[in-house]
Amino acid sequence: MRTKNRLQRLIQVRELPLLAFIVLLIIFFSITIKGFMTVQNFAMISRQITTVGIVSIGMTLVLVTGGIDLSVGAILSFAINIGGLLIIRGLPIAITYPFILLLGAIMGTINGLLIVWLKVPAIIVTLGTMNIFRGAIMIITRGKYMTQIPDGYLWIGSGYTPFVIFVILLVIFEFTLRRTRFGRNIVAIGSNEQSALYSGVPVNWFKILVYLLSGIFSALAGIIFIGRSGFIQPQAGIGYEMNSIAAVVIGGTSIYGGSGTIIGTFLGSFLMGLILAGITMLAVNAYWQGVINGLLIILAISFDTLRQMRRE
Amino acid sequence: MEGISLERRKFRLPISMVGLILFNVLLFIGLSILSPTFLTLRNMRSLMVRMSELAMLTFAQTLVLINGGMDLTVGSAMALSGTIAGMLFKVGAHPVIAVLGALVTGIVIGTLNGFLVVHLKIDSFIATVATNSILRSVVYLLLRGRVLSGFPKNYVLLGSVNLLGIPLLFVLVIVFAIILHFFLRKTALGRSVYAVGANINCAHISGIDTNFVKYFVFVASGLLSAIGGVFYTIRIGAMIPDAGLNSPLEVVTAALIGGASVKGGKGSIFGSLLGILAMYVLINGFNLLGFNPFWEVVLLGIVLITIVGQSSMKKVVKMSRASRRGRAA
Repeated sequence: MRTKNRLQRLIQVRELPLLAFIVLLIIFFSITIKGFMTVQNFAMISRQITTVGIVSIGMTLVLVTGGIDLSVGAILSFAINIGGLLIIRGLPIAITYPFILLLGAIMGTINGLLIVWLKVPAIIVTLGTMNIFRGAIMIITRGKYMTQIPDGYLWIGSGYTPFVIFVILLVIFEFTLRRTRFGRNIVAIGSNEQSALYSGVPVNWFKILVYLLSGIFSALAGIIFIGRSGFIQPQAGIGYEMNSIAAVVIGGTSIYGGSGTIIGTFLGSFLMGLILAGITMLAVNAYWQGVINGLLIILAISFDTLRQMRRE
Repeated sequence: MEGISLERRKFRLPISMVGLILFNVLLFIGLSILSPTFLTLRNMRSLMVRMSELAMLTFAQTLVLINGGMDLTVGSAMALSGTIAGMLFKVGAHPVIAVLGALVTGIVIGTLNGFLVVHLKIDSFIATVATNSILRSVVYLLLRGRVLSGFPKNYVLLGSVNLLGIPLLFVLVIVFAIILHFFLRKTALGRSVYAVGANINCAHISGIDTNFVKYFVFVASGLLSAIGGVFYTIRIGAMIPDAGLNSPLEVVTAALIGGASVKGGKGSIFGSLLGILAMYVLINGFNLLGFNPFWEVVLLGIVLITIVGQSSMKKVVKMSRASRRGRAA
């Protein structure tokens, strides 16, 4: 009896079909592509998914509260470009890294404060701040690349380091979302803000905190971006908002708020990375990536709606 | 009958609209004083031509926003329909066929979006994130990432044709604005676009076929974007794969500045036209004055947040006043 219950519960886990799909895809790619099932290939995929993946953790938290953050890519770029001014002046990592993270935190807080104070929908506030941050970068850097990056900054973007950081964050925030007061409260805010307010949840504080975290995650992704590419460009992070929203939604988080898991987000970003690697190695035109991502989003959401309708 | 006449008596230009007109006028006066080249016939004409396709996309977005949705495919729909027109020209099609091909592309895109939103019940924002990704890739695949040129000379010349001294493309924009304005204000379907956006349950109970209205809005949006695509190819004489990459966000901003709301039920065609006009005059002025053009982007963000923020602050103040009065009574 107990085992049957467990089995039923396991089948109802949202991530299971996604996981099955990933496994099938890996089998398909390893049959059709020679050299797909290699350690190097998976190491490469793990490095590739990390930057958008870390941004997606923050995006998951934001979406769970029923908000959205379109400024993540702009925050990433702003933080590393302004931080880059210190980096090329030769300041030590002990100063530049905290500075970059602080910039991300400040910009995230600005988003949160505007959303809470002005009571403007998050999509508008972050659309506005995205424009402001992107414009500010171009004005300050005049569109110049920074290529004089000391070798010390490359460590964080090489080997397994980025992926290890990603996994640690995944574990911490999966736990946070499931088991802590913070996690339960942001789910409460996302499912019904009024009732969360009436049951004594400090809604505004948690909302600001969520955008602050999203800002820090974007800045951290930026630090890894520097490590991976070895230079800083004003165009960094363009499209990250849409890619991270895609990963989060494929992972089963509702854009209406109130539900979502970090594991799902990981699977979503892994799936997108896997497909990108697969079509690159199959020498299929890389432009197909966009078509596949779009179809995946539609499929994932239709699947969720179908499951919900069945339950009802 | 009575309802209509009542509405007419009540009709007043909303404060935000007056503000927007004033802003545009001040911008015009200021730039005319600051830059000798601003108020020249040449500059005015080029300004009108340049904003024509974005104006069509703004109209498309306004319809969807009023209806309570969002359409992020306007830019890629513009690019894809322009591409289809260009490819039809390549195989020697008659210009009418090429333009029709572009318009049909727009309608197909709109129908696809409508299907996802109405039948699969996907939120329009995320549904169009997905279709936008697909459409943009299709544009890249069709163009192989290269610029498509070879539009016929006579077709491209339409971009420099003037009607009573005003560029033809801009005249068409104004004609579309007038048609859409009357459609939204005076027809039953136009009113139901507002009704569905304001309160979909209420609209449904009042007997409006909400699914049809939603479908209609997305198809109209696709069609208007396709017209924008035709304008684009006339203006540029080529199709660039990245065309309209940022336009969804630009036109959402223009429509919101013009009084639309992401919560639906609000907005007007002329407000949106004033919004996009303000944006383009600002860009033009900044270029002429030799400012870093990215100040415009920053300013746009600030304007967007303050305009929307100020209107929602007013609502909050009104609500708290009302509740205070309620307590006093």
